[in-house]
Amino acid sequence: MASVFSGAPPQGGPGYSFSQTRIATSSGIREHSFYPYTDNGGSTLGVSGADFTILAGDTRSTSGYNINTRYAPKLFKIGGEGPDGTGARIVLSVVGFAADGDALKERLDTIVKMYKYQHGKPMSVAACAQRLSHILYNKRFFPYYVHAILGGLDEEGRGALYSYDPVGSYEREQCRAAGAAASLIMPFLDNQVNFKNQYIPGSGVGHALEQRVPEPLPRKDVEELVKDAFTSAVERHIEVGDGLQMMIITKEGIQETFSELKKD
Amino acid sequence: MNHLPQAWGRPRDDVYGAYDASHLQTSGPQQHTQSPIVTGTSVVAVKFKDGVVIAADNLASYGSLARFTDVKRLRKFNSQVVVGFGGDVSDMQYLDRLLSSLDIRENYSTTETPLNAKNLHTYLSKVMYKRRSDFNPLWNHILVAGLEHENKPFLASVDLLGTTFSSPTLATGFGAHLAQPILRRVVPDEATVESVSREQAVALVKECMKVLFYRDARSLDKYSIAVVTKDGIDLKEDEKLESQSWAFAEGIRGYGTQVN
Amino acid sequence: MDTLITQYSRPAFHDEGYSQEDQQELSQVTPPLSLKFALPPVAQSSAWLRSMTDDYSNPSCPIKIAHGTTTLAFRFKGGIIVATDSRATAGNWIASQTVKKVIEINNCLLGTMAGGAADCQYWLAYLGMQCRLHELRHKRRISVAAASKILANLVYSYKGMGLSMGTMCAGVTPQEGPALYYIDSDGTRLAGNLFCVGSGQTFAYGVLDAEYNYDLSDDAALELGRRSILAATHRDAYSGGFINLYHVKEDGWVKHGFSDTNPIFWKTKLEKGEFSNVTADLG
Repeated sequence: MASVFSGAPPQGGPGYSFSQTRIATSSGIREHSFYPYTDNGGSTLGVSGADFTILAGDTRSTSGYNINTRYAPKLFKIGGEGPDGTGARIVLSVVGFAADGDALKERLDTIVKMYKYQHGKPMSVAACAQRLSHILYNKRFFPYYVHAILGGLDEEGRGALYSYDPVGSYEREQCRAAGAAASLIMPFLDNQVNFKNQYIPGSGVGHALEQRVPEPLPRKDVEELVKDAFTSAVERHIEVGDGLQMMIITKEGIQETFSELKKD
Repeated sequence: MNHLPQAWGRPRDDVYGAYDASHLQTSGPQQHTQSPIVTGTSVVAVKFKDGVVIAADNLASYGSLARFTDVKRLRKFNSQVVVGFGGDVSDMQYLDRLLSSLDIRENYSTTETPLNAKNLHTYLSKVMYKRRSDFNPLWNHILVAGLEHENKPFLASVDLLGTTFSSPTLATGFGAHLAQPILRRVVPDEATVESVSREQAVALVKECMKVLFYRDARSLDKYSIAVVTKDGIDLKEDEKLESQSWAFAEGIRGYGTQVN
Repeated sequence: MDTLITQYSRPAFHDEGYSQEDQQELSQVTPPLSLKFALPPVAQSSAWLRSMTDDYSNPSCPIKIAHGTTTLAFRFKGGIIVATDSRATAGNWIASQTVKKVIEINNCLLGTMAGGAADCQYWLAYLGMQCRLHELRHKRRISVAAASKILANLVYSYKGMGLSMGTMCAGVTPQEGPALYYIDSDGTRLAGNLFCVGSGQTFAYGVLDAEYNYDLSDDAALELGRRSILAATHRDAYSGGFINLYHVKEDGWVKHGFSDTNPIFWKTKLEKGEFSNVTADLG
């Protein structure tokens, strides 16, 4: 029954091509059947506000049912100086295959640094966002297995958040959850950040009810939302837990915090 | 494009051929042209307050055959780093040559500071990731133990896919299942590393080697153990497991010879 | 002999790490939207890619690329109406409800997005670049026919590699008038009055074909575009979210909102009495 909803072609019936679908696998002997991907689990999320952006990610790294480590950061400062990323204004979060994530991070970091040296000014978030899209698309035929979220402040000082699919389609959003627990966190964010399915009390009954209009949330509220989202995700997803790494980007710079999550 | 709307924007069989699920296989011994032949099993390592202890047994297996019983799977690099290899032995030997050439190049170069464990781990992770991206992986899971700047203990791992991670305790292969829980019981997090002495750490790793020998069928009671501190590397390559107790085996059905 | 010696006297591991060309892109001042793509080092790279990403044939494939759409565009006497939904799905997961599926190539050319979201975004951005270059070289705006042909030739050169896009180019130029082209990743390029593309196309065609007339007024045409997308979002699970509406005229395009389908649906039902299959009874 599941296949009815999955959109897969009907079994045994005509395929979705005009020509007859070949049932058997076509290419015979496979030279390399090395599988170059793995999923290291974990989850990330980002929320942008009026004058800040918050990115967060848990710090658990998994292989199957094993926990590799309880502290593997998923958030990276982009374009900063030295190992601590001093002076960075952009944060990248990556979740999925950690090795691809690291490769992507280093590529973007180098590019943003080179931009600064060559142009004598830091790269804007919008430019960085587009560049990241192109980096991902350059691997269109051998994708980076990652869901990336990029955060910073735009030219007007407002919070800017961009989310990506593995091959580089991107969109600026108010909030986004990615990774293993995305399906647990995203509906919560829809409701709490974009006020989906929230109505103004007393505005009417039935079809007359008015939708509550979303507005940028204050920073304190967002921090609490992020913590709630992760503590809840930890309860219901085995690949999420151990620690919560959070980066808050304001005009003063990037503030990084770390708090504990359940380790079971 | 056709009359079945769900298929729009999807690869069509008449253009791309039938969906070929064989690409997704992660195992299937017959089909690998590159798969490990002679392999080493677990490497275990733990940080303590002044450095890192790392150990691996001296066995290279050929499938289920215990083929070579004196293969040293720990390797020194300059006088600050020990690299432990799990997985394919030929690829280990290749990496060994690679590291030797790197060491020679470093010794000829004019840089003041020698490569520390962190630098070497970064280098190895780039090599491993490049190889996986070429679909020609080095079939190893590597632990790098040593010191980073300010003589802080450093321990990190890289596997055949280029995945890297660092933790106060690490174990590869079977050890990830068997040894890691034992190690984590003593050193649960980075903060406890400060309170672990060298003797405790060595005893802990030896305990893990023993448990691995009890239950890992591809393991050996001869092993190498190295302790890296700022005073240098103390590498012993001919250790023998001591005070084994097989008393537990009697009570377990299916373990060893069963009388009835 | 020398070459033989150099070949064998080199250490066997000289090629670990990345080559100069691999790194070049990092230091370029203006990186082009390049046509050089990393390919998986396997014999059949497209089959490999498909096995990793085609969640239609294998719902549990590892990498799910955002898909799914209803887009439409039609010509009428006042120009061209372009309308889309805004939902992107990855497998059964709704990846986004706020995708901008109308891509503003420049101020008088629009492209629509169906199929792989990244493919459309990237190649329509590339098309935008080519159109601007054409403008600079020839001192006049590119015709829609030429623009669409650039795109069609481009995707045709990647045929068999696994691109998936069904796009429409809409624009009004003095020499052509309102012009509308359909281009897909098979390499098809068609001129026409009316196209619907995507998983919800059939539902949109149903409404559009019934009501379409070249002599529609601007307001009626906009309403028809909106109503067709609404029908598709109602019946196609892979379409939904917001209705994105554009009107292309000779002096450029005008945006007519990015509006939530839900209130529009209830307005259409309750005020016009359509969608009588749905009960409005809240009890």
